[in-house]
This record gives sequence, structure tokens and C-alpha cells, in this order.
Amino acid sequence: MKHKRLAIAVTTAFALQFGAPAWAQVKIGINVPLTGFAAADGKSALDGAKLAVADANAKGGINGEKIELVIYDDQASPKEAAPAATKLIEKDKVVAGVSGSYSASTRAAAPLFQAAKVPYVVAYSIHPDVTLAGDYVFRTATMGEVQGRAGARLASDLGKKKVVLITLKNDFGQALAAGFKEAAPKFGVTIINEYEYSMPDRQFGALISKVKSDNPELLYASGYYFTAGPLVNQLRAAGVAVPIIGQEGYDSEKFIEIAGAASEGTLVTTSLDRDSASPVTQAFLKEYRAAYNSGADMVAASTYTATSIAIDGLKKTGGKGGEALKKAIESGSFSTPIGMITFNDLHEVKKDIQVQVVKGKAFRRHSVISDPVLLAPPTKAK
Amino acid sequence: MLFVELVAQGLVQGSIYALIALGLTLVYGLLRILHVAHAAFFTLGGYVGVMVANQTGSLAAAIVAAMIVAGIGGILMFRLCYQPILHQPPFVPLIASIGLYIAAEELFRIIFGPSGLSYKYEFLQGQVLLFGMLRFKQAEIAVMLGSAAIIGVLSLLQTRTRIGVACQATVSDPQMAESFGISLRRVGDINFFVGSALAAFAGVMVSVLNNLVEPTMGSVPSYKGLAIIVLGGLGSVRGTLAAALVLGVVESFGTIYLGHLLDRNAIAFAFLILVLMWRPQGLFART
Amino acid sequence: MEYEISLVTTMAISVLFALSLNLITGFCGQISLGHAAFLGVGAYTSGMLAKAGVPFLLTLPPAMLLAGVLGVVVGLASLRVRADFLAITTMGVGFLFVGVVRQQEVLGAEMGISAIPDTGMSKLVFMLFAVALAAAAGLLSSYVRHCWMGRVFAAIAEDEDTVRVLGIDVPRFKLTAFALGTALAGLAGGLYAQQLKFIAPDSFGFIESITVLSMVVVGGIGSVIGVSVSAAVLSVLPSWFQVIGDYKLLVYGGLLFLMMRFSPGGMAALVARIFHPDRWAGK
Repeated sequence: MKHKRLAIAVTTAFALQFGAPAWAQVKIGINVPLTGFAAADGKSALDGAKLAVADANAKGGINGEKIELVIYDDQASPKEAAPAATKLIEKDKVVAGVSGSYSASTRAAAPLFQAAKVPYVVAYSIHPDVTLAGDYVFRTATMGEVQGRAGARLASDLGKKKVVLITLKNDFGQALAAGFKEAAPKFGVTIINEYEYSMPDRQFGALISKVKSDNPELLYASGYYFTAGPLVNQLRAAGVAVPIIGQEGYDSEKFIEIAGAASEGTLVTTSLDRDSASPVTQAFLKEYRAAYNSGADMVAASTYTATSIAIDGLKKTGGKGGEALKKAIESGSFSTPIGMITFNDLHEVKKDIQVQVVKGKAFRRHSVISDPVLLAPPTKAK
Repeated sequence: MLFVELVAQGLVQGSIYALIALGLTLVYGLLRILHVAHAAFFTLGGYVGVMVANQTGSLAAAIVAAMIVAGIGGILMFRLCYQPILHQPPFVPLIASIGLYIAAEELFRIIFGPSGLSYKYEFLQGQVLLFGMLRFKQAEIAVMLGSAAIIGVLSLLQTRTRIGVACQATVSDPQMAESFGISLRRVGDINFFVGSALAAFAGVMVSVLNNLVEPTMGSVPSYKGLAIIVLGGLGSVRGTLAAALVLGVVESFGTIYLGHLLDRNAIAFAFLILVLMWRPQGLFART
Repeated sequence: MEYEISLVTTMAISVLFALSLNLITGFCGQISLGHAAFLGVGAYTSGMLAKAGVPFLLTLPPAMLLAGVLGVVVGLASLRVRADFLAITTMGVGFLFVGVVRQQEVLGAEMGISAIPDTGMSKLVFMLFAVALAAAAGLLSSYVRHCWMGRVFAAIAEDEDTVRVLGIDVPRFKLTAFALGTALAGLAGGLYAQQLKFIAPDSFGFIESITVLSMVVVGGIGSVIGVSVSAAVLSVLPSWFQVIGDYKLLVYGGLLFLMMRFSPGGMAALVARIFHPDRWAGK
């Protein structure tokens, strides 16, 4: 039976080809809020990430090896995110991590990835401290402060000088407000008043009454679609007709669905341009709709981007993580649905801000704010 | 002008609170249970309302369906979940209720998805101008009128019908009432049905106001409602109503003028604590 | 190994936190729905002091002290109101704490405090330290329960009025329970801040208070061992059950309800029923 060993070897080789056992796969870890208050965004983020992995696997994965997405639910809480990160690093031994979650959880997870030298690409959490965790942490989203500055510039471009801020009371909203306040004087924009509201608020009657009495020329309101939708709806119903500038948090079809006719004309500073000429963007939008039967939102687009950057980096290193992957990402230039991405020395992204407007119940391009000085993310030198 | 508007907005919010808190007070008055899971019927009402409205195009049908479904759900919850543990120390039904609420919220999320549902058709979205200066959405007027009407009818029923009086008797002295042939179970069924139906009505109205139904929409009412019934004096319907309206107005002013110090919930609870320190039995308790 | 170490540390901190609530709720019958506020007081105190350069171990006594003092203040409130009202009042305290902290820039407002400096202890030593503290809390709880103070606590839980009539200074005992329980919660907070190296107001809200109360109730109010075991298990359950992932909270809610429905005495009662069926006279 001297052919027996050969037969076994050949059969095994065949089986390995088709079986794709766990230890031959490239693992990318992701933390997303699948339960809890942020579950809606978590689902979008995960959908985006899964699409990126599926796309890459369809094109042959990384040098023939399939990519596996290891998913942990962090409930958008630091308490859950930290053990999730530890598990991804130690048990699952992922070669790269992606954050599809909010800032609190990401801030807890980032230092762990840094300490383990596993590159961590953050999709849409905008708190400044995230990248301060170290050079293994990359962020593909525009920081809150930068977006806020863009908002001030937009207000000025529209010729509106007297603004009232409506700020969501969390790190997202406060970072945006901080950026707006910082840049406002440069553009001659005065902030008459600022009002804050909390995440669970859906009724803004009192706030709106007060805003009306302030008589602003424009509103800069931060929030997510589930707060912004009701807010804009109620503002218009109360007779407030001035322009409203929102941000990435509004960037979802659900915002238009909730606010209804009131959403017409709302301006949003974001990263996804539905009217983009870029084939990458259009292909992504089409694929997403085909796969999930709904339009992509910013969260999905950002997480898709973050995941595909991790994958592209891995392609360059042949599936290896660590130092090699870090270098591959930081030196790379990536063509993604949210534009051309490159990183500065703090591993923050350098890109333009898309301004979209709601027209005919859809997000359309309004303009692009391209001002490298204004939009410069913080660097290490700072 | 701003002052009047803030009061008006406070009353709108207070009406919603009243609808929710009434169910809580009915249950507490009868069973001495803090029925946290009550908020699940608020959310259930919202979901049933949106689904029926989107299917039939009729808001009235949606409201009726929501109230009936929630009412029945309330009875089921009473019979299956609370009745067996009535004799236990108070923390038992409280924790059980919390567990029920968490499970309910999750069920909503798992069944309907985390993103929430909106109305396909527009209901009560038009504007109403009162007294030439106060601008309301039709839905806001509907909430205020609706709750006033329902509560008025309820008070009448409570004082003028046999069933209503029976309910009241059971609250004051369950054993005495039972010896008179009034069944605790029957009264419990009624209280839970009515309370849950009210919560569902509130749920539908709020979903129309916001054009959004989400799995988590009941989380704030779940604990705010408790604060309100304590504020009003546990078990007192009139007290609950007054407390709800007062709290609505307090929050309305508080979020504008104290917003930089405290958030909405903190303002509500600070108010509650202050009142309790002054009157430990609640604003309108009848002891 | 690091993953296992962090798990055990989490368990130890949760046990300590749950035992601290057990002192108040379990021994004295005062339902607190806002206990996480004291965890937060301890966490912020310890974290801020650590960032200001104070060595970790020295941050713990102030954390405990501040939490304990606040506990006494809340305890004073508990003297004025009864049972159900107290539950809601403590809930209010919890919301007030979060609401106030969120607005204070000096406490990091919404963004919280991050980059809390290292203790200098290795992860393993820190874990042992946490476990030691949890064990000490367990011993303290047992001691309190069996000594005179504990008996008074139990009596108060059973029938406050009778105890008062007996001439015992009920207020003083209640306050002592609050002070002890909240101080220990403050200690747990200090450890918590150190373990996560990042704290934000949201971590100390209503949900956290409910979670720790559930641990106490599921373990069996008053039972030191029951509470310790249930806290240890429930704190790491989500991590083990990532496979249920989506259904995590549903299982958790269902568990709470079923436990209360079928064994209100918690796991301790279940165990007692199994081992001492004769003592289980239809309770």
C-alpha cells in the first residue's frame, strides 16, 4: 500500500483547498454596537464591513486566502468594548481591527490594539483622543472639530451671520460645536445662543420656542437621524424657515423618512457624495442597495471604507499584520467610496468635506468644501 | 409670549406623561407594584399604530387597534406575570418588571429591527394657530384634547359606575372589597387593560408627533413614569395627573434655562427630590 | 493569559460592587436604584487624583470617603421616605449624578476622563489586589451580618416599626448601612477607573444601577455567597456568550424575570431548596 500515504496527502491537500479551515484565513476583528441604544448604527456599520469583506473575498481574498470578519457586540459601551478588544487580540488573534462603533467604546478599545501592535482603523468615531492612543490607530472619519469648522465656513458661504447652535449632548455633538465655535469668528459668524439636548430626547417643543424667540438666520444642529429627524420636522412645523446645517449624523435615508417633507433643503456636511462621479462611490452605492435593499448611509460607507483600507493594507503585506501592516496603511493612498484617503502623521485623514442637500427626498450634492488649511486635522506636532 | 409658549409646550409633554403615568398609578393603587414594564405597552402601541396606519391609511383604526392589543397584553401580563408573585416582597415584582421590560425592548428590536419605523402617510401634521399667536401641530392639540377627554371619561366611570366604585374600593381595602363579592382579579384585569390601553394611545400619539417608532422609545417613560406617580402621591389618580402636567412644564422651562447645568432627566429628578424633601408623601397624596 | 486576567479582574470588581449594594439592600432592606452613582463618585475621584499625580493606592481612601459621605447624605433622605418612594428617590440620585457630571468641563463633561495613569502594578498584581479587596468585602459582609449590627439590619428589613418601638435608633443603623455600602462602592469605582483607564458619565447611569441590583437579587438578597457568585457570573456572561450575541439582553431580561417568578430568593434560595428541602417550608 505504498500509494496510501500519497493518497492521503493528495486528498488532504484537496480538502484544504475547499475546506478553508480557520487557521488559513485572514482574520479582521470589528467591534460594533449590535444591541443597546446605538443598535441602528451598529447594524449599518456591520453591513458596510461585511460588504467590504464579501467584495474582497469575491476577488480572491488576500493572496487566495479568505478574509474572515470576527464580530463582537460592544453595546457602544467602554465596559464591553475593552474585553471585546482583548478577546479579538488574544483569542481570535486578528491581524487588524476595525471600529464600527461610537467614541466611548472606541476610546476604550484603541489603547489595547495599540499595546498589542495590531493596526486599528476607526470608521466614524470622531473623538480627538482616539488617535492619541498611538500610531497603530487610524481614523477614516473627519474629526468633529474639523467638521464643525467646515460648518462655520458653510454658514458664511450662505451669507448667514447670526447662528443658533443646537447641540447633542455627547462627545460627537460637543466636538462639532467646538469646531464651529472655533472657526466662526474667522468668518464673521456670530453665535447668538447654544442649546443642548440629550440622546433620548425626541420632543423639542420648549427648545424650539426659545429658538424662535432668538430669531437666528441659520441653525447649526448636531444629532443622529433619530434625533435630527424629529427635530427638523418639529422646527419646520413650528414655522422656523431658516436654513439648517446638519452633519454626518443626519446622513441616512431614515432622516428623510422621519422628517418627511420638512427635510427638504437641509444641508449636511458629510463624507458620502451620492452624486459623486467616482466609479468607486457609485459602485458601492449600487452594491449596497442590491445587497441590503436600502440606501447606504454615512456609517455604512465609513465602515466599508475602514474595512477595505485594512484589507488593502493586508494585500500589500501578504496577510501579515503588525509593523508591516501599519507601514502599509500609513503610506498608502486608498480609493474609497468616501473619496481618496491618505493619512497624516497622526493617522488622521486628509480629505474634503462633502456638502449634501436634501432635494426631492434624497441626498444630492450641494458643494464641496476643499480648504486644506481650514480642514487640516491635528498633527503630532500639535 | 415665550413664557406662554413654554407653558403650552410643557402641557403637551405633560399630557403625554399623564397618559403613561395613569396606567402606572392604577396598577400601583391596586397592587402596590412599580410596573416598570408598563412602558412596553407604550412602545407596543407605537408599533401597532404605525403598522395598522401604514396598512389601512387610517389613524383612527391604528389607535383602536393599538389600544386593544395593548389592553389585552396588559391583562396577560397581569395574569401570567404579576398575579403569581403578588405575595412576595416588593422588590420581586419590581425586578421581574424590569426584566420583562428589558426583554420586551429587545424583542421589539429583534422583530422590527433597530432602525425604527415611520408613517407612510401624514397624520395630523398640519398647523393650528390658537389665540392668534400660539402655533401647534395638530398632533399636539390632539394629544392634549385626547388625554383630557380620556381622563375625564375615566374619572366619571370611576365615580359613577358600579365597576368604577368597585375598583376604588379594592384600592382602599382589598380584603373588605373581596368580602363584598368584588373580585380582585376582575378589578386587576380592568386596571391593566385600561392602563395599558392608555399607554398605547400615548405611544401612537408620540409616534405621530415624532414620525418615529423605535424599540427604545419606552425607556425614558419607564422610569419617568415612576417619578411622576411618586411625585403625585402613589395611588392618587388626580395627583398623578397634576404631577404629570407640572413636571411637563418644569421640564419645559428647566431644559431651556438650566440646560447648561443639568440635563432633562436630572432636572426632572432634582425637582422630584426637592418636592419629596418638602412633602415626603408626594404633592397630592391622600393619606 | 491577559484575557483571563482581565476577566477575573472584572469579576472581582463586580463582586465588590454587588456586595456593597448587598449591605444596603440585602441587610437593611433599602432598595437602591441609583447605586451606580457611588461607583461613579469613586471612579471620578480616584481617576482625577491619579491624573493629578497622586499614587493609585492613595487615591482609594478619598474615593471611599467621598462616596461614603454622599451615601450618608442620601441615607438622610431615606429617613424621610419609605420603601417604594426610596427606590424612586435613589433612582433620582443616580440621574442627578450623571446629569451634573455631564455638564462639568473639569470632570471631562461628555467626553469623560481618559488616559488614567498606570498604577505601577502589573496586570496580574492588580487582579490579585482586586480579588483580595472583594474577598475582604465578603468577609466584612459576613461579619456584619452575624454580629449585632447585622441582626438589627435584618430586623429593620423585616419590620421597621417594631424595631423603632423597641427603642433602637433605626436612623443611625440605616445611615451606617448606607455609609458602609456606598464607601465600598466608591472603592470599587476606583478599581473600575483603573481597569478601564477611561471613564465617562454614561457608565454610571440607570442601566448600571439596575445591573448591579439584578446581581444582588439573582444571587439572593442578603446572601453573601449568592451575591458573590451571581456577580462574578453575570459580569462576564456577555463575554462568554458572544455567540448568543444578538440575543444577549433578551436572555438577560428573561433570566431576571424567570428568577423572580420562580425563585425570588435568588440562587441562594434555589441552593437551599436543593440541600435543605425540609427547611423549605412553602416559602
